[in-house]
Amino acid sequence: MTAYIIRRILVAVPTLVILIVLCFFLMQVAPGGPFTSERPLPPQVLANIEARYGLDQPLWTQMWDYLVGIVTRFDFGPSFAYRDRDVNDIIAQGFPVTLTYGLISFVVATLAGMGIGVAAAIRHNTWLDYIAVGATFSAQALPNFVMAPILVIVFTWQLGWLPGGGWNGGQWQYLIMPVIALSTSYVASITRITRSSMLETLNSSFIRTARAKGLPEHKVIWRHAMKPAMLPVVSYLGPTFVAMITGSVVIDVYFSTGGIGRAYVDSALNRDYAVMLGVTILYGGLTVLFNLLVDVAYAWLDPKIRY
Amino acid sequence: MKSTPRILVAMLLGATATTGSAFAAGTHPVTGETLAEHQVFTYRVLDEHSSVDPQIVEDVSGSDIVRDLFEGLMNQDAQGSLVPGTATSYTVSDDKLTYTFSLREDAKWSNGDPVVAGDFVYAWRRAVSPELASPYSWFMELMSIENAAGIIAGDVPVDELGVSAPDDRMLVVRLSQPLPYFPQMVTHATTFPVNPAVVEAHGADWTKPENIVSNGAYVLTEHIPNERSVRERNPMYWDAENVILEKTVALVINDENTALTRWLAGELDRTEVPAGQFPRLQKEYPGEAISFPRLCNYYYTFNLSASGPEAFRDVRVRKALALAVDRKIITENILAGGQIEAFTFTPAATAEFEVPDVEIASISQAERDARAKTLLAEAGYGPDNPLKFDMVYNTSESHKKIAVAMSQMWKQKLGVETSLANMEWKTFLEVRANQDFELARGAWCGDYNEASTFLDLLTSPSGYNDGKYSNAMVDELMTLARIADDTQAIYTRVEQEIADDVPIIPIYHYAGVYMMDSDVGGWPINNIEQNWYSKDLYKIAE
Repeated sequence: MTAYIIRRILVAVPTLVILIVLCFFLMQVAPGGPFTSERPLPPQVLANIEARYGLDQPLWTQMWDYLVGIVTRFDFGPSFAYRDRDVNDIIAQGFPVTLTYGLISFVVATLAGMGIGVAAAIRHNTWLDYIAVGATFSAQALPNFVMAPILVIVFTWQLGWLPGGGWNGGQWQYLIMPVIALSTSYVASITRITRSSMLETLNSSFIRTARAKGLPEHKVIWRHAMKPAMLPVVSYLGPTFVAMITGSVVIDVYFSTGGIGRAYVDSALNRDYAVMLGVTILYGGLTVLFNLLVDVAYAWLDPKIRY
Repeated sequence: MKSTPRILVAMLLGATATTGSAFAAGTHPVTGETLAEHQVFTYRVLDEHSSVDPQIVEDVSGSDIVRDLFEGLMNQDAQGSLVPGTATSYTVSDDKLTYTFSLREDAKWSNGDPVVAGDFVYAWRRAVSPELASPYSWFMELMSIENAAGIIAGDVPVDELGVSAPDDRMLVVRLSQPLPYFPQMVTHATTFPVNPAVVEAHGADWTKPENIVSNGAYVLTEHIPNERSVRERNPMYWDAENVILEKTVALVINDENTALTRWLAGELDRTEVPAGQFPRLQKEYPGEAISFPRLCNYYYTFNLSASGPEAFRDVRVRKALALAVDRKIITENILAGGQIEAFTFTPAATAEFEVPDVEIASISQAERDARAKTLLAEAGYGPDNPLKFDMVYNTSESHKKIAVAMSQMWKQKLGVETSLANMEWKTFLEVRANQDFELARGAWCGDYNEASTFLDLLTSPSGYNDGKYSNAMVDELMTLARIADDTQAIYTRVEQEIADDVPIIPIYHYAGVYMMDSDVGGWPINNIEQNWYSKDLYKIAE
């Protein structure tokens, strides 16, 4: 197992380097640059700005300097759009925000989704099952960019219970709506996967054996059915976790949380190359890490899997 | 005996500084309105501002903050007229090339340092220095300050810029050519002073709330990127005793409908009205939905360069297309926020500018349509040979609605076939700057309140003349306008040339359309540039 983990980490390094190089050159292909503006800058001013950021160097030199900066100084470069912030500042400010509401949403979505899914499977073809299935279908049809403005209309304007946006250091009032908006559709997906996986497990022969030997139902479920039923759920949770703590641009835009998702999209629109690359590396690193964690969790859940 | 009153005065001053403005819960000294206890103004901004460094800032929302934090030589009042700022007065030499500003004695930085003429010299040199590479250095060039162009190009040392400080209270500016609207330009953020010691000590980080020192009516106390920025009353400001508003909060809210909901919920004092919603909101919230003219135009530009379509080289085609656009439908049905139909380029609200009479404006839409049909037929286009071209605009719901409406009008009235394409902003700019289009959307907001800020765009050397329109007469007239005493006659001629040549199709002139809480007092709706200062605002008790 340890050897496997080490091997996976070693493979991750070239993966990330390829990601960086690919990204670096793809960015340059997009029309316009960081200093393209409505009033075109006089050539001399543009030349001054480009010289300031080393953009007048050949691409390979820029690329090399960038990689050296990361490795030697952990410096992901400057922001072209905001002079008093560099990429490290932008990530340090935005990522904790996204991580906070993403993590809470993940826990909420997982607990609620698995709970409802298991309950629906156990009470298969009862009113509880029908409600769960019906509700998850509607929840999945409600994307967060529709959900978010509705929440603000209801809870901020009509009821006046919650602030309509902002972060305020992550105070609980400011967390509720982002968490609801982000987790709803995930609750639905997790419920559906858990329910169908649990149903399948409950129909397998080893469960029949467990019941035949007279085990009480809760033991059948907890001791025998739970682990195998969780396999497809866990493989869904890995990438979901990364998506929830990183890709919440809709939440950032509608609730003005100041999270990293918004900064990422802005960097693409502003052609803020270094910010775009920095966040891509962060996302890439997290994806690699959590895929690894999922594989490790697999081995624990299913003794048949050996690395 | 003598020391007692002094202590009392000091205590009183101290109390004012710590407990806030003496006006809170009082009455407004001019209008007599009862003031609210909490003097806080909260407004929505679309995006994170670019910077609060006066020499770096390049966006409108950043400039609004900078105007509160720093004070330039002159300010604008509610009408947009010049009023003294850090300078109390100025004189201009007979050859109109030298301006001498007298600075007030009591101007201070928020750390207590006096504001001296040298701070302006430092800031202005900074604005043009190739080392700082300000995206707004062109503004100093536009101001015609001696040697600005050479310094930006790196040919002349920075200290040769035509600005000097013979003493702490006197600032002398030398221009390379007379510029009648030069005094108006010193209300622009690029010209605001910075504290040299603070800038040198902190480098690019000097604008962070923990480092920043400013000389305006407010100081920056909090800034969370993409969430909020807060500015609070500066007790060191020379006129602090007349500043009523304690605090101004800018909240970044990207989605305008969410912002409107939050305004309805009372979280915001000001937000923009989404296109088309103004009539409804005006009915439901009388007095709080406000609309006023802005110094911006909206138009479509023909590509007249070699890469442009052959058809557009025929003035009859351009004229026909311009005539057939029913502006009333666009301003009244699509935007519905008090926007003004445009038949000429410069907005009517521009200072000392009168919209000249052009023929297209004086006839009815039915006549325009009839004339358009004739012109297009004369140019050789008709049912058998329909005119076809592409039309591009940057991605936005309202730009799309307008483009669709225009293409429908042309199709129905003239049988013209257009294909529409929307583009992401930077791609759009690139396409337009490279003349890689046939008909493209354009818009411009004045950099200063004078017609040349618009008309210069249509001169041959202009960097924003993306249609590559070139008319020697227009170029010559605009050069002449720089030194002329009576510019109106010249601008009328230029507008008439443009109306005859139709290098662009003017569509409308912008309106500022806001939801403004009725307890906000002092909003300068007559300041067409919308250069507002928190120090002039106040909250009325409800």
